[in-house]
Amino acid sequence: MNTELPPARRAMVMMRVGITMMLKDRARFVGTVAGVVFAVVLAAQQLGIMFGLLQKNTMFVDSAAADIWIAPPGTELFQPGQRVPASTIDLARTTPGVHLASPLVVGGGTIKKPDGGNEGITLIGTDTSTWLGGPWNMVAGAREAILQPDTMIFETADREKFGGLNLESIREVSGHLVHVGGFTWGLIPFGPSYAFAEIDAARDMLGAASNRVDYVLVTVDPGVPTEEVVSRLKARMPDLKIISGPDFHTAIVTNLLKNQLGMSFGLSTSFGLIIGLVIVALSMFSSVIDNLREFGTLKAIGCTNRDLTALVLAQSVAYAVVGSLVGLFLVTRMAAGIRSARLVVITPAWLTGLVPIVMLVLCLLAAILALYRVRKLEPGMVFR
Amino acid sequence: MTLEPMTGEAPAVTVRSLTKIFGGGATAYTALAGVDMDVRAREFLMLVGPSGSGKTTLLSILGCVLSATAGSAVVLGRDVTTMRPDELPAFRLQKIGFIFQGHNLIAALKSRDNVALVQELRGVPHAQALKDADEMLAAVGLAGKEHSLPGDLSGGQKQRVAIARALVGAPPIVLADEPTAALDAHSGHAVIELLKALTQERGTTVICVTHDPRIFSFADRIVNIEDGLIRPDDGSHS
Ligand SMILES: Nc1ncnc2c1ncn2[C@@H]1O[C@H](COP(=O)(O)OP(=O)(O)OP(=O)(O)O)[C@@H](O)[C@H]1O
Ligand SMILES: [Mg+2]
Repeated sequence: MNTELPPARRAMVMMRVGITMMLKDRARFVGTVAGVVFAVVLAAQQLGIMFGLLQKNTMFVDSAAADIWIAPPGTELFQPGQRVPASTIDLARTTPGVHLASPLVVGGGTIKKPDGGNEGITLIGTDTSTWLGGPWNMVAGAREAILQPDTMIFETADREKFGGLNLESIREVSGHLVHVGGFTWGLIPFGPSYAFAEIDAARDMLGAASNRVDYVLVTVDPGVPTEEVVSRLKARMPDLKIISGPDFHTAIVTNLLKNQLGMSFGLSTSFGLIIGLVIVALSMFSSVIDNLREFGTLKAIGCTNRDLTALVLAQSVAYAVVGSLVGLFLVTRMAAGIRSARLVVITPAWLTGLVPIVMLVLCLLAAILALYRVRKLEPGMVFR
Repeated sequence: MTLEPMTGEAPAVTVRSLTKIFGGGATAYTALAGVDMDVRAREFLMLVGPSGSGKTTLLSILGCVLSATAGSAVVLGRDVTTMRPDELPAFRLQKIGFIFQGHNLIAALKSRDNVALVQELRGVPHAQALKDADEMLAAVGLAGKEHSLPGDLSGGQKQRVAIARALVGAPPIVLADEPTAALDAHSGHAVIELLKALTQERGTTVICVTHDPRIFSFADRIVNIEDGLIRPDDGSHS
């Protein structure tokens, strides 16, 4: 009768009891899982929206086929702002290792609606000899449409907003009549949607000098390390911002997280996690309180604190696993439902992988209160 | 059944000057005031006395779920008052079967799982533990109820499951605190009759606290406790 049960098997026995107890209390189980699901959905949804918003601000940099950007000094985001000197293009083209160097024009424009009102656009003048600056994500027409005189490509999500745009519609953009030559999908940054024109046409519409350049997009020769070319360009143009595409992406993300998005989304995500933590903690604690006599009985008949810890932790792990699975399923469904040209909710694979781990930590933390009560419990109470 | 002390056989329980004082200072309350008591092996002893006399307190110390203030209580050769706290759960598990006033079953577990759990904790493999449980349930007259949850059983049936849990694996000593208090007269009688028969069969020592005069006749001996002391006229065999 004195055979010692190996600790692992003994823990298994207690975990089985814990899971059985958990499933018996159907209402509490559903409530607690709902708490975890709530935390998963709120946290993952908030992060997904945040990644979506970040993507709106990096999409131009991500989509542009440039290895290196030459931008006005002090540039932190991709937006209309200062210019770079027209001579930059030749300086870049004559730098060893540079394959292509294309000018890009970015400016604020307006489109006049048939009923009279105006809407803003972000006018992009793209170099049609390289197409480094777009357009991309075409859903109607072809990018070559802007080779035709006075022809532009607009964002399909804004067709209604711009007064029912169709292929071949004619609109007045910043005082110039243009044809609609095609549509992109999802090219809407924080500001007005991108609208593409051939670079000289864009300069015209913006009333800008015929040599205006906002950014220079550079590609490097095959086999040449980007960083090397960045250094060479920096040496030749010490007053301009020279940055690789991936670094520009990172700089934009960092800037937005620091200045705008990080705080609010950090708060709402933490809020979801904290509410989930509180729900699970209260549920597990009240479960112990409601079953105090059973826990006392288990102690009286010979269960140790370690046994009861295994029992309680099995429950918290089960809550985390079930809650994560249900939560992630809902998040995926909701992301698909929300997805539009205006907002794409992005839940990267690493986030999906991280959710169960975070929930596990959350549920284990939530079990602390219950564990404290169980361990403190005097087995003598069962005789009272 | 005569229970003269057998020569050479150690008593199951020896209690000497056992004292329990709850609290301290002005509110200190002496629940046991120096109890001396012996329980022979295989004896079915009933502990009776008025409410608040210290019966449960004494049983709790013998059952290693309450510490004593002074004195000694030797249970199966070991003084439980000086055992290390981390030794107590294993001692309870291996040596003592508990029956409480309520059935104290785990509501989520089927009757066989309630019983088998004790055996599994003792190291009995799962399948064997279930077999032991089913046999024990049959012995308490609950064959066919192995898969019932406590909530689906009557009060008497639940207390039978509790008896099965206390007796499975044949621990040498069983401690019962008013095991019939929650039952009607008929099932109370049946339950104590069953407990007596099964423990006699197995040679189990039983200490049973009760208020119920109708079951006194099952005792080998009755010990009276009053104000935390054993009444001196005791020791008579029933
Ligand atoms: N934890 C405690 N703290 C303080 N006093 C206690 C505690 N436990 C018991 N007592 C007191 O000790 C005395 C003996 O209690 P005990 O439960 O042993 O009596 P009992 O004989 O079992 O009574 P009953 O027949 O009512 O069950 C009572 O006066 C009780 O109030
Ligand atoms: Mg009592």
